[in-house]
Amino acid sequence: MNPPNSRAIVANILSELLSGHGSLTTHLAKHKEQDEFSLIQESCYGVCRWFNVLEHILSGLLNKPLKTSEQNLKCLLICGLYQLRELDVAEYAVINETVSAATVLKKPWAKGLVNAVLRNYLRKKDEIEQALVDSAPAVLQAHPQWLQNQLNKQWPDDAGLIMQNNNLRPPMTLRVNQVHKSRKDYLEVLADSSIQAKPGELAESAIYLEKPCPVSDIPGFAEGWVSVQDEASQLIPPLLQLSAGQRVLDACASPGGKTCHILESEHSLTECLAIDLTETKLVRIKENLERLGLKATLLAADASEVSSWWDGKMFDRILLDAPCSATGIIRRHPDIKLLRKPEDVKALQHIQLNLLSALWQCLEPGGLLLYSTCSILRPENEELIGRFLESSDNAKYEGIAADWGVECRFGRQLLPGGNQGPDGFFFSLLRKT
Amino acid sequence: MSILQILEFPDPRLRKTASPVTVFDAKLEVLIEDMLETMYEADGIGLAATQVNVHKRLLVIDVSENKDSPQTFINPSFEIIEDELVEYDEGCLSVPGFYETVSRPAIGKVSAQDLTGEAFELDAYGILSTCVQHEIDHLNGKLFVDYISALKRQRIRNKLEKEHKKSA
Repeated sequence: MNPPNSRAIVANILSELLSGHGSLTTHLAKHKEQDEFSLIQESCYGVCRWFNVLEHILSGLLNKPLKTSEQNLKCLLICGLYQLRELDVAEYAVINETVSAATVLKKPWAKGLVNAVLRNYLRKKDEIEQALVDSAPAVLQAHPQWLQNQLNKQWPDDAGLIMQNNNLRPPMTLRVNQVHKSRKDYLEVLADSSIQAKPGELAESAIYLEKPCPVSDIPGFAEGWVSVQDEASQLIPPLLQLSAGQRVLDACASPGGKTCHILESEHSLTECLAIDLTETKLVRIKENLERLGLKATLLAADASEVSSWWDGKMFDRILLDAPCSATGIIRRHPDIKLLRKPEDVKALQHIQLNLLSALWQCLEPGGLLLYSTCSILRPENEELIGRFLESSDNAKYEGIAADWGVECRFGRQLLPGGNQGPDGFFFSLLRKT
Repeated sequence: MSILQILEFPDPRLRKTASPVTVFDAKLEVLIEDMLETMYEADGIGLAATQVNVHKRLLVIDVSENKDSPQTFINPSFEIIEDELVEYDEGCLSVPGFYETVSRPAIGKVSAQDLTGEAFELDAYGILSTCVQHEIDHLNGKLFVDYISALKRQRIRNKLEKEHKKSA
């Protein structure tokens, strides 16, 4: 049998994404055993991150556009351009392997074309790159046009920086389980292991690693001293104002990072119920709980169909980390740029409002519901809360007094940070009267 | 050691069913050495004895990145563990220049003997799983092109026959 061709694998994954199938995470999971997995992973992430730029360059190198049926060939060419532009791989190796990938994609007729396009790029590289800077600055922001428009409209002063930060590689952030060690003590443990790190400025439990590393290299990870979680999510438990004896619901809980953090923050809750849609999603939560030595009640259910799972006992606190466009975490999931369509936002709003209205009936009068998303689009955030408040006669918006983020009409918005900053995230706190 | 000639589709000898290996001697060891050398020379990751015109149930595989972890499977069998299938663009040293998408069980248990005749088992997943199944097919006279449409198979046959005439 012939060996796998990593460029062909990348082209097939990207072509699936462009057709709206799966996500980078699900596709890459199938290739973990490949020898060249790191190259496959790096190329997939990089191509998604810079797709619009690469597509623009490719169109200038083709005499006539490729047929739409040649999507995987287009993805192969784009992958080749990415590797020539960004990776430290010998040019001849990129060209040879990309040319032979055309055969693996069952398009041996395209070998000459692949060779010509890639060599042409190398020959005219300086000219092409200069033309990009001069004539197509919007292309260099590497975001789909609809999203650029939305960001420019909704965040006119910040859109440029948001997009710039979205194109950075994300930091690896830890959450210290302060049951075991204080953040200060754990930073010393890291220093003893020669892992460069610094405390987060917003969340008291957050630590930024200077360089990402495998969790197996992190001291005490298996023992539950720390978890991997972005700093933005770590702001949640303090906002919930937890205290002993409360009954807490985490409504869209997988992978359980926030559930665990809630339990780490308050050990004497009467109950913490974590719900997500499927048993598969609960497995992730279970693994996290076990590693950290915590206990929660888990339930596979659609949280918005209250009659299917609720026992009628009120919750004192509800966390609704709602499904969203994930436009605040593009740096972690650059495939969002290819997968998300403008019409998705409307469908998501519908789901968000349904969840919020349904869960509201489970909240004890006087209790708090924290609505959060990893979206930076106002229709999913403050506008959604505004719509809910209009339709409800027993909901009151509680401001969040904090020195982080942007104060919005009905909540607080974190915009995507730089190399050592948090994800884009929205928080809104509501009290039942 | 020597490089062996690899049979190419549609050579009828690729359709023979191989018989079990019963003698584990020095001759077998030489054959394995030669098959590995032939596989590495051809940039392959797996080779079945059938492909070098030896109709014994024997295959060599090396799926490592540095080509330094050869594995030998004598009298191998593959037992499906899970129903999950994976698709893979397979190519074959006996069908040079062609790739086709084949769907096979993702995970399985491989039972075989090593070159001393000792039995062993291992769980195969990822590329190893696909490769073992592809090579065991050879021992049964089967090729990856048997999984695709007759029309596509005929087209590949015609092209390779033309190549073979040219080089004959």
